[in-house]
Amino acid sequence: MVTVKIDGKEVQVAPNTLILDAAKEAGVSIPTLCHDSRLNPFGACRVCLVEQVGNPKLQAACTTPVTDKMEIVTRSEKLSRVRKTAIELLLINHPLDCPVCDKGGECTLQDLTYEVGVTKVRFDAKPNDTPVDHTNPFIERDIDRCVLCGRCVRVCDEVVNIQAISFLNRGTDTIIGTSFEQPWNCEYCGQCISVCPVGSLNNRIYLFKNRPWNLDRVKSVCGLCSCGCTVDIDYEGNEVFRMKESPEEGINHGYMCAKGRFGFEFINSIKRESEAVVKAGGESKKVSFNEAVEVAVEKLKKVKDTAGADAIAVVVSPRLTNEEAFLAGKLAKDVLGTSNLFSTESNEVYPEATLEEVENSDCVTVLNIDVTESNPILGLAVRHAARKNTAPLAVFYPGYTALRRVSKNFVTGNPDEVRAAMESYAAAVAGASNDYSALAAKLTNAERPVVVFDPYNKADVKIAQDIKKACAKVKIVPAKSKNNSVGIVDMGFGAKCATEFAKGLESGKFKAVIVLGENLSARSVWTKSASKAAGLELLLVTDPFMSETAAMANVYIPVATFAEKSGSFTNLEGRVQSIEKAVDKGVNTDACVVSALAKGLGAQLPADVSAVRGMIEKEVPLYSGINWDGGVVSYPYVFAGEVAATDGKAKGKGKFFLYPASLRLHSGSFTRWSPDLAKVYGEPMLEIGVEDAKELGIKSNDRVKVKGEGFEGEFLVEIEKKVSKGCIALPEDFVATAGIFCNGKSLRADIVK
Amino acid sequence: MKNVFETIFFTEILQGLGITLSHMFKKPVTYRYPFEATPIQDRFRGIQYIKTHADGRTKCVGCYLCQKVCPSECIHIETDCGPNGERLIRKYELDLSRCIYCGYCEEVCPVDAIHMGWEWNTVASDRSGYVINMKTLSQNYKDNVEGNWKNKHLKKKLVEGVQQ
Ligand code: SF4
Ligand code: SF4
Ligand code: SF4
Ligand code: SF4
Ligand code: SF4
Ligand code: FES
Repeated sequence: MVTVKIDGKEVQVAPNTLILDAAKEAGVSIPTLCHDSRLNPFGACRVCLVEQVGNPKLQAACTTPVTDKMEIVTRSEKLSRVRKTAIELLLINHPLDCPVCDKGGECTLQDLTYEVGVTKVRFDAKPNDTPVDHTNPFIERDIDRCVLCGRCVRVCDEVVNIQAISFLNRGTDTIIGTSFEQPWNCEYCGQCISVCPVGSLNNRIYLFKNRPWNLDRVKSVCGLCSCGCTVDIDYEGNEVFRMKESPEEGINHGYMCAKGRFGFEFINSIKRESEAVVKAGGESKKVSFNEAVEVAVEKLKKVKDTAGADAIAVVVSPRLTNEEAFLAGKLAKDVLGTSNLFSTESNEVYPEATLEEVENSDCVTVLNIDVTESNPILGLAVRHAARKNTAPLAVFYPGYTALRRVSKNFVTGNPDEVRAAMESYAAAVAGASNDYSALAAKLTNAERPVVVFDPYNKADVKIAQDIKKACAKVKIVPAKSKNNSVGIVDMGFGAKCATEFAKGLESGKFKAVIVLGENLSARSVWTKSASKAAGLELLLVTDPFMSETAAMANVYIPVATFAEKSGSFTNLEGRVQSIEKAVDKGVNTDACVVSALAKGLGAQLPADVSAVRGMIEKEVPLYSGINWDGGVVSYPYVFAGEVAATDGKAKGKGKFFLYPASLRLHSGSFTRWSPDLAKVYGEPMLEIGVEDAKELGIKSNDRVKVKGEGFEGEFLVEIEKKVSKGCIALPEDFVATAGIFCNGKSLRADIVK
Repeated sequence: MKNVFETIFFTEILQGLGITLSHMFKKPVTYRYPFEATPIQDRFRGIQYIKTHADGRTKCVGCYLCQKVCPSECIHIETDCGPNGERLIRKYELDLSRCIYCGYCEEVCPVDAIHMGWEWNTVASDRSGYVINMKTLSQNYKDNVEGNWKNKHLKKKLVEGVQQ
């Protein structure tokens, strides 16, 4: 510990602490512009200059570490002059178009100008006037407003590791841009927007729609993927204007991904339904909520009386809150008396490592998942471990992913080769000597090793279990997909295998099915049997949109999205986090639907969050005494039992290996209702390698037919240089592709032109 | 002695009558409203107008500052991104039935768009016309410039003040 005196206040800080942090400790604030505590010190703007007693040179507080007995002055006549000049110099070429700039009202440069009191222009002002760049579908770039703080460049390099943008040119010509002024295509994570202190990089989804001072804000949790990012939902009235990071907060440290940042528009979508629909005798009728519930209750009673409770099934979507899933379980078990609780999730594997443990891991292995696309924040944690901690990172995937930049050991090939490699790797961890022994040794010698895998691929789960068995200190991360994939399992929707539901539909065992938020047609396990659901005595579907399944329903009730309700989600770490209601779109929540159904059936179930939480704490042992604002559930085990060995080999015949691609910019079938995401990625694209495409003579955006054993489909082509030779990939979770991947995760197929 | 004199000859009464008499030959200072209008001073704050560029486009850029500053919350603005990435004003509404003519909106406008005009008569038999939009506000500008006053009494000379 060293002692430093800042503005007369003495503080004890660790050696090498930056003056800025020491000042914070002392309760002294120093203005900054280019500094970001999550990034490496840079020192570009000189706004944070401070005086050190006994040193004639001014020091930049954001880059200078403290030394013992240092005495710092942060406010003086001289410093005010210096700071003012620094800002005045920045303003020479600044267009000063605050009235039209989207950053107006929350701009650091604006604030600093007021703070230092620049009122006159002392220099020959020559405002820049370059056309605004719109090549990026989500980001507006106005280089005129740039103060060259480098935060965007640094965050894209240090955190996102994509290096899409950098400083171009030299001296006064320096600008921020892409190399050789290429069109700006990147991960679209928007981290650069979030760190830009001025209006140089702006969110095009929110662009010019409102002003920050008009917006109300709630802190909530993103309801798209299972990372569980803490986000700010900014709204005015009943419209959500933006979903943005809570600066430096949450398990995501204030980072987000394209889905969360640009995909929230479905909440305001005009395509959302507002009225319940009841179908009878081939005619559909718009009815009130109560009428729809009455019809459903009548039918449930009838089915229960005639066919017994076992003919009723309840399916929930992983988009539901814990509270809603719990209520749905109560309704099924206690009110209806059925044990047919289904979801796409299974209770085979539970979360273990937290994101923090992944970040601080000293050896990471990623098994057969494109984690930066499927779970972007987990992807950032993996990158952090590999880049900042230089942890050895081994990735197995049938094509290069964005992790290639940070991984020295990237194993690709066709899916069968990758599977064989993963199996040998697991064997090597267990002690066998083969090609992967050296790689495996890194894992076994590490202190805090982590394995990330896809819990929906049975063969991968088996490999992860083998690794965990051989090396107990390995912490596993099942990269679950949806916002509450983990939570609904905890609430009892994972005990029964999803295929059982498909069988029940096929055999006609189920007469009445309640589907809360799920889209059966878009799930590969259910897509084949989904059409059977149309002929049921009762198919009750709740969904914010008229999904394919909702269109088949004989009772449809529109419901709220995550921004319109309170409750909690459990993320992929097993962390329970509360969500907050921001807007009201005039539709009921799933909790209201369940509670109304229960009432109709003569039982009482509360819809109110705190009452339900009380019940959960009593009835779900894992959640007894849980902190609903960030508490991590401690699971007694990670694998429920011995995972059965599956043949992971590609099924069928054909020239190409077909595997599920990462869902680019989407999170299941839900975000497809976001017009902006859909503009960039609207329909499933067939990814194919450059060589194969040349051989077949197909170009990007051609339409080709994919044919395999038991499936066929026509898709747009996207030529991707990262796809290995002899492989093609299609995204899962589209209605058009669910019918393909119901045959297996790894297939063989032919391309017919 | 003087008092006795004044009392005897009613001089004070005569003085008073003198003043009354002199006023009979002066011009009247009152106005026979509504048949006759009161004069409007240069700095009078009447119904707003919004300036337009020479080609007819509004000068307002939709910065929301007037909406923010307005103490009676009578301005409502909606903006969006235009097809070429420009700032587009979807809606600009000003509720004259709420306006207190404080002139803050004029003061705050960073691009010299909104101004207080000289027109002031908002009397109407129903409330429907009180919420005026950008079209009316731009027309008001034209009227102020050209002197097309609805209230005929407004003097032409004030027009010069608008054009500055
Ligand atoms: S959006 Fe993300 S990947 Fe693209 S430039 Fe910005 S930080 Fe980099
Ligand atoms: S674009 Fe923004 S973040 Fe990037 S250097 Fe310029 S001012 Fe800084
Ligand atoms: S989709 Fe996932 S990673 Fe993206 S913001 Fe939401 S929770 Fe975070
Ligand atoms: S004059 Fe005052 S009350 Fe009227 S619109 Fe302007 S700011 Fe609002
Ligand atoms: S302050 Fe001026 S430019 Fe801004 S919205 Fe109001 S009238 Fe338009
Ligand atoms: S904040 Fe220290 S130099 Fe910019």
